[in-house]
Amino acid sequence: MLIRKCFKYFCAVLVLCFFAVFLFLPLYTVLKEGLDPQIFAEIFRSRLYLEGLLNAFLICIVTTFLVFLISMPLAILYDKYEFPGKNLCPVLMMTPMILPPFVGALGFQQILGHYGVLNSILQALNLPPVDWLGGSGRFWSICVIEALHLYPILYLNLITSLANIDPALEEAARNVGAGRWTRFRKITLPLLRPGILAGGSIVLIWSFTELGTPLMFGYNTVTPVQIFNGITELGTNPAAYSLVIIMLAVSCLLYLGGRMLLGREIHVTAAKGSMGAGAKILSGWKKWMPILLFGIFTFIAALPHLALILTAGSKSWYRTILPLKYSWIHFENALSDPLVVPSIVNSLKYSAIAVVLALAAGTAAAFLAKRANLKFGGLFDLLAMLPLMIPGMVIAVGFLGMSIHYSWAAKIFDPVNNPVWLISAAYAVRRVPYVLRSASSGLEQTPVELENASRNAGASAFTTFLKITVPLIAANLVVGGLFAFSFSMMEVSDSLILAQKTEFYPITKAIYELSQYLGTGPYIAAAFGVWSMLFLASTLAAASILLGRKIGALFKI
Amino acid sequence: MAELQIRKISKSYQKNEGYVLQSVDLTIKSGEIFFLLGPSGCGKSTLLRMIAGLIEPTSGTILLDGRDITHLPPEKRNTPMVFQSYALWPHLDVYENIAFGLKQLRLPAAEIRQRVENILETVHLESYIHRKITSLSGGQQQRVALARALALNPSVILLDEPLSNLDAKLRDDMRLEIRRICKERALTAIYVTHDRKEALSMADRLAVLHQGIVQQIGTPRELYMNPVNRFTASFLGDANMLDGELVRDDEKSWFFQTQIGEIAVRKINKSGHEESYQKAQKYSLMFRPENVLFEDNCSREYPENHIRAEILENSYWGESSFRTMQAGSFRFYANEFAAPERPAGALEKIILPADRIIPLSC
Repeated sequence: MLIRKCFKYFCAVLVLCFFAVFLFLPLYTVLKEGLDPQIFAEIFRSRLYLEGLLNAFLICIVTTFLVFLISMPLAILYDKYEFPGKNLCPVLMMTPMILPPFVGALGFQQILGHYGVLNSILQALNLPPVDWLGGSGRFWSICVIEALHLYPILYLNLITSLANIDPALEEAARNVGAGRWTRFRKITLPLLRPGILAGGSIVLIWSFTELGTPLMFGYNTVTPVQIFNGITELGTNPAAYSLVIIMLAVSCLLYLGGRMLLGREIHVTAAKGSMGAGAKILSGWKKWMPILLFGIFTFIAALPHLALILTAGSKSWYRTILPLKYSWIHFENALSDPLVVPSIVNSLKYSAIAVVLALAAGTAAAFLAKRANLKFGGLFDLLAMLPLMIPGMVIAVGFLGMSIHYSWAAKIFDPVNNPVWLISAAYAVRRVPYVLRSASSGLEQTPVELENASRNAGASAFTTFLKITVPLIAANLVVGGLFAFSFSMMEVSDSLILAQKTEFYPITKAIYELSQYLGTGPYIAAAFGVWSMLFLASTLAAASILLGRKIGALFKI
Repeated sequence: MAELQIRKISKSYQKNEGYVLQSVDLTIKSGEIFFLLGPSGCGKSTLLRMIAGLIEPTSGTILLDGRDITHLPPEKRNTPMVFQSYALWPHLDVYENIAFGLKQLRLPAAEIRQRVENILETVHLESYIHRKITSLSGGQQQRVALARALALNPSVILLDEPLSNLDAKLRDDMRLEIRRICKERALTAIYVTHDRKEALSMADRLAVLHQGIVQQIGTPRELYMNPVNRFTASFLGDANMLDGELVRDDEKSWFFQTQIGEIAVRKINKSGHEESYQKAQKYSLMFRPENVLFEDNCSREYPENHIRAEILENSYWGESSFRTMQAGSFRFYANEFAAPERPAGALEKIILPADRIIPLSC
């Protein structure tokens, strides 16, 4: 009864409690433990740490630049032209997302390793081998593999923004004599700023704080790996906390910098009754160019996946262009390995709880921001988007700190004996923005009159929310939930940091552990990676059928 | 049957910003079809939403049958509304849309079914009971929206421009239909529109709003014939405005000096209305285009206000001819019924009947 009467206040309390416990307390713990001028001074005196920071920064700049180079032309092609196979593009663009980049790194190593595919090709051509992963090669490999994983995020944001631009605006520019390039520079690009900011900032912060890929490549002089290595002595040496604070500060600066550079959000909604010319239909040989380009990029992006599949399916793959013998043995071993099945069960458990938590918090925050008519409703939107700006590592280290420093937290968030809530909460808090975006867009697309009509017909705010709002935005909630689920299943930073005992390992940590075993370890890890990839792909495909939508629609941020 | 009283209602969305509504006072009688008429942004929909409880007033009170409902949540008011967009829930079918409000009342299922069927019969949609909302035409959706509101057996019904999305023919039919249903059920109806034709043809009484202020309240005839200001005069129909100064009067008439000469205005006008004016004050003399008479097409003798004017432009409207005319530098409109053909450029003798001219404050 009380919930019915004070529904919006109940939602507000729910959201505030969620973020207080799962976001601000971990942050506070990190700040409390790490804000020590002496440690900061030590970090800034240490060449190793400074180099780590510089490398992380360079990785994120280069990766983001590469992501722009890939996404922008593809998004423009998709939006402006009609061509054969256009319906395939959303699926093609999703391919890189069904595998975390650090698993892809396993496949990439097989291609670029000293005795890998590329060097085997060079050898076959009687050319000297190149140390692709030595020196700066390792750095560039990390950037490329991260860019190949992250470009769909920017791409999807760009095509959403492009679709929102009233075609009449470009036509007007054309009408006054602006050429193609001028129109792009002066009209399209400025109007794309919201999409660039939204997608670009995610890519920037994601690549700055990415732990798995450099770890897999053994690239240790990068801050996230330094933090990971420092976690074992967290109780006695708070350097990891301070490094986390530095990462957080730089992430904030990167986001704010992007915001300053790209300005505040602008409204680019299509004007009523606007009659745009629509996408141009390509003919002749030109009509095959866009799909060819999409195909090439997808092939390059899928190379790590292909290499992973070949690695997993080979008996052993060494000094040859392609494996000489194929076998199912690694796939079988992957399923019978004592690490594997429990890790799948664990991942399902953690992700399911995370989705429930993220759906509750994200939907409530969207409702408060868009519907509750609260004076500071916008703050809830900002609050729920905050985890996007905060690196996963920061929250993971914060949770770990909480379990060390607060006795109540040690009981609920026990990393050693029962990390279910710890990992689920860490997964959840970083997935809230996706649910929020999905729910918000659902609410924006749903006329508020439908809810007013329900109140007007005698339903309470709570009944209206349950019977009208939720069914109307159900598709958006399913999309948000699936997005949250998929990303939780393949989560890396939190999993590597928070899962400490083998019995609690989620999939990603199990793959990492398997890859570290000598001998058949990497092959079994690759096979497990393939199983995970298939599992995730079938989840998304099932969801796509369930929703009756194209799979690409699931990832529109 | 229910009487609705609106007492000094004001609304401002932001402090230090203007009022959307200013001190609105209205009494809507039981069983009355009352229209709120005004241009976009005049506050009419805001007022309707306040009655529905969807917007809280900044000050003032709303009384329904003497009971203060100002701060009552919308679901407790039983003032169902027909929304401009219809606001039909697309995930529910016709039956479920109409039954939704009845379910909130926790009525037995059989009664809900009966009431939905009855109301669908009233709006002639019996065979559409399980149709999807998206499969209905605009007119059918409008009827479902009306049925959803009527199903609750309300004493007051609110209609927010319910016909604005329909084509002209359907709109005419629905006007009669809505009026018939409201009168049959003795509903107190508050109807928002910016369409003067709709308001004049359907309303028992109406209020004209402009910039959040009620300009005038009365029957359609009163407002059309005796507007109190230039805004109401021109919002309710085409109105010619001739500026003049009151110079003298006699027993029967006021006399105004204007740019086209002295114009007589009867002290008691055609609709029996009497107003007093101040000498040496400036007024706008308002007369409707259909009140401009052509001497050669006039069955009666008029002693005053004979004017010679040139036809600048003609528009043929079928039942009448609408003419732009000029006398000296004064340009005005005439709407002549059963009109002979008169070419542009022709000089015509016209009459402005003294009992059809309304002096309005400048």
